[in-house]
Amino acid sequence: MLLSDIITPELFASAVRLATPIALAAVGASICERSGVVNIAMEGLMLIAAFSGTAVALLSGSTWLGVLAAVVASMAFASLHAWASINLRADQVISGTAINILALGTTGYLMETVFGHPGTTDPVRTIRPVFDFPSGGSGALATVWTWVDTVLFSYTPIVYFGMFAAVFLTWALYRTRWGLRLRSLGEHPRAADTVGIDVYRGRWSAVLASGFMAGLAGANLTLEQVGSFTEGMTNGRGFIALAAMIFGRWVPGGGYLAALLFGFADALQLKLQIFSDVIDIPPQFFLMLPYVLTVVVLAGVVGRAVAPAAVGKPYKAKG
Amino acid sequence: MTADPGPVVCDLPETGPSPDPVLELRHITKRFPGVLANDDVSIAVAPGEVLALLGENGAGKSTLMNVAYGLLAPDAGEVLVDGRVVSVRAPRDAIALGIGMVHQHFMLVEPLTVTENIVLGGEPTSAFGVIDRDVARRRVVELSDRYGLKVEPDARVRDLSVGRQQRVEILKALYRDARILILDEPTAVLTPQEVNELFDIVRELVSEGLAVVIITHKLEEVMAFSDRIVVMRAGRVVGETVPSACDEQSLARMMVGRDVVLRVEKSPHQPGSPLLEVMNLSVLDDRKLPAVRDVSLVVRAGEVVGIAGVDGNGQRELVEAIMGLRRPTQGTITLKGRDITHDNPRRTIAAGVSHVPEDRHRRGLVLDFDLVENVALGDHRRPPFSRYGILDRAKLEQEARRRIAEYDVRTPDEHVAAANLSGGNQQKLVLARELGRDPDVLIAAQPTRGLDVGAIEFVHRRILAERDCGKGVLLVSMELEEVMSLSDRILVMYEGRVVAEFEGGAVTEEELGVFMTGGGRPGAEALGSEGTDA
Ligand SMILES: Nc1ncnc2c1ncn2[C@@H]1O[C@H](COP(=O)(O)OP(=O)(O)OP(=O)(O)O)[C@@H](O)[C@H]1O
Ligand SMILES: [Mg+2]
Repeated sequence: MLLSDIITPELFASAVRLATPIALAAVGASICERSGVVNIAMEGLMLIAAFSGTAVALLSGSTWLGVLAAVVASMAFASLHAWASINLRADQVISGTAINILALGTTGYLMETVFGHPGTTDPVRTIRPVFDFPSGGSGALATVWTWVDTVLFSYTPIVYFGMFAAVFLTWALYRTRWGLRLRSLGEHPRAADTVGIDVYRGRWSAVLASGFMAGLAGANLTLEQVGSFTEGMTNGRGFIALAAMIFGRWVPGGGYLAALLFGFADALQLKLQIFSDVIDIPPQFFLMLPYVLTVVVLAGVVGRAVAPAAVGKPYKAKG
Repeated sequence: MTADPGPVVCDLPETGPSPDPVLELRHITKRFPGVLANDDVSIAVAPGEVLALLGENGAGKSTLMNVAYGLLAPDAGEVLVDGRVVSVRAPRDAIALGIGMVHQHFMLVEPLTVTENIVLGGEPTSAFGVIDRDVARRRVVELSDRYGLKVEPDARVRDLSVGRQQRVEILKALYRDARILILDEPTAVLTPQEVNELFDIVRELVSEGLAVVIITHKLEEVMAFSDRIVVMRAGRVVGETVPSACDEQSLARMMVGRDVVLRVEKSPHQPGSPLLEVMNLSVLDDRKLPAVRDVSLVVRAGEVVGIAGVDGNGQRELVEAIMGLRRPTQGTITLKGRDITHDNPRRTIAAGVSHVPEDRHRRGLVLDFDLVENVALGDHRRPPFSRYGILDRAKLEQEARRRIAEYDVRTPDEHVAAANLSGGNQQKLVLARELGRDPDVLIAAQPTRGLDVGAIEFVHRRILAERDCGKGVLLVSMELEEVMSLSDRILVMYEGRVVAEFEGGAVTEEELGVFMTGGGRPGAEALGSEGTDA
């Protein structure tokens, strides 16, 4: 009875949905670190974006304006990180940590000032799936169609954008001038400098790109999935995204696939919780699943992944 | 080696000012903490001219050229191109002005391929910034054919030996079609043949109007290829001359302020018992292809064994296998009768082997560490430098100061980061550590790479002194002269095998050259892979 109840098209669709915020952030972080800047602020950026997106959507009544606000807010905070770590040559981990703390504090404070209460905002109207195909009759063909429809055509726009970004950026990283230069920045910025590449500008744009992706991650979380903002709602997804980035070997597509793995673990644990009475395992055990997976992945498989050589090292253009 | 600059030896014949310099540096002053690297230096180079910039290690040559290329900001002075004052804020400004540069320490991105490194910054693209990989590859192949610098376009730079990296670095500069080409020690790890081929073409470009500034410590190159020579010492220009008005001896004197013995004499040798024995060794390279094939050799007490060969014929892998940095697939290595085939570098060093690696940046130094820490590396576990795992800083500093003085490492003090030393002084620092350890066996790969003539004399004397007091030396060098003048026996490596063995002094450069490129005289001392230790 169990297996067919668990392995449903909805399980896979929910894996993709749950993976999306992580995947978007993992793709953004891959780009950022390829340029040589560590971005552990992804968590904070997502949180800022989630709040700004919800707040603007609520106040303006337009969800898409909310998405725009999420992206702008996240990129604004990302530029703080860029300025500190590129221009001021601050320690990038410290700068990122500061932004994470700042994001937590700012969103908490703004909850009080904007909405007059802590906790959770009112619900917003969420963005609808892109496609709405009719379900098709009955029989074997209908089952196939249900699978295809649910697993491929049931998502909201930002989810599709995430897939597109992962594929496109992976291609661009290895096939375009932009990608080649980006890779050289993270490996040997001085070599890049000596062939005329502007290291500061390249790194700035990479950090802003990661801010953009984190913004979409936050928007996806609130405006496409949950439909409201809760303090601290990113709940470590930004950090799991960094694990996915490493697991994916700093390749956007790899990061996306790794995020899918985490998303699947999450979807599975949600599903299993429903059955926790039947199989007599406490639900907390399943809740641990995605995090345990993170630890296992980071401890084991990742050992051999090599980070860009100059990642985390500030670059001084001129002596 | 003396740090005393001595009286300024000037030799200024009437060279006449070259007409309309294309690049001119006026009154450049550059100060680093504790060092005046350039002190009011002015030089100029005209189209169609090759200017050689000479000077001992730390004289300020690289600093001056880095100012011209926009990598360093001068404290005073100006740069002129085509007679106009220009502001070179970054290398991209220099590139836009038509300046190209080969850097003393290669500016290569290791995980990228040779082609990617060469085109980086000037990629051939089709629409939307997509790199046209066929065009890129074709251009690299054309360039490498034209200049006689063989490279594998699809190899990753991190898999290449320094000699090959050198070629890539040169091709990178040539790819950009510069009008003004700055070459900072471009030939330090090239074979004489490659050097000739390169300079023939550069000469051709120069006759078409290219201006070249070349920094080198190889005086025969200077005599053969330059039009004008400027000598720097301690941050200042101390002389200017032309090749017809000087010779290698007088140039050497101008550089270091004393007479230099360009080729040290060695006493007859009495080899003792075998110290290092390599038997039937096979080693793979980074791409898992056979690099060393069934090599056997012996280094006895009191002898220098030289390995000649075109770079990339297995020398690096052989050395790394001996040091325990690379696992051999077959064969044994014994040190004084003890099997060290599977020892790690720490044990090998402790057993009395010192190693001067071919690439001082990759393997020789921790660039962010200061000189004290770099001198301590490898000995840091042993008394008197540490006890019970705690470093004795005072002892270390005392020892570091002693070696810095002995090896004449030019530095404001022993607490600067190794990265801040000039290239030659970094090399001296590696030598100070490895030779200063008083090893039984010294394995030296390109030991005098980037050293000035005075320092080379010193190092050669030290190597022979080691030999004379019963140590064994395995010398790997691109520099045939060096191999021939120091070695008691010379082995030639070609495609991973030892293809010939000669008594030192019983062979000419040409003869070695033949074996190094895969040829060989029938009936000569050419040996198969077996019996090389006979
Ligand atoms: N980044 C730096 N920081 C501090 N000091 C430096 C730095 N770069 C160079 N120097 C110092 O400036 C002096 C000149 O160095 P430079 O590299 O120009 O010498 P060089 O003539 O190129 O010598 P070599 O033949 O050894 O390459 C040296 O004393 C060196 O220690
Ligand atoms: Mg130099």
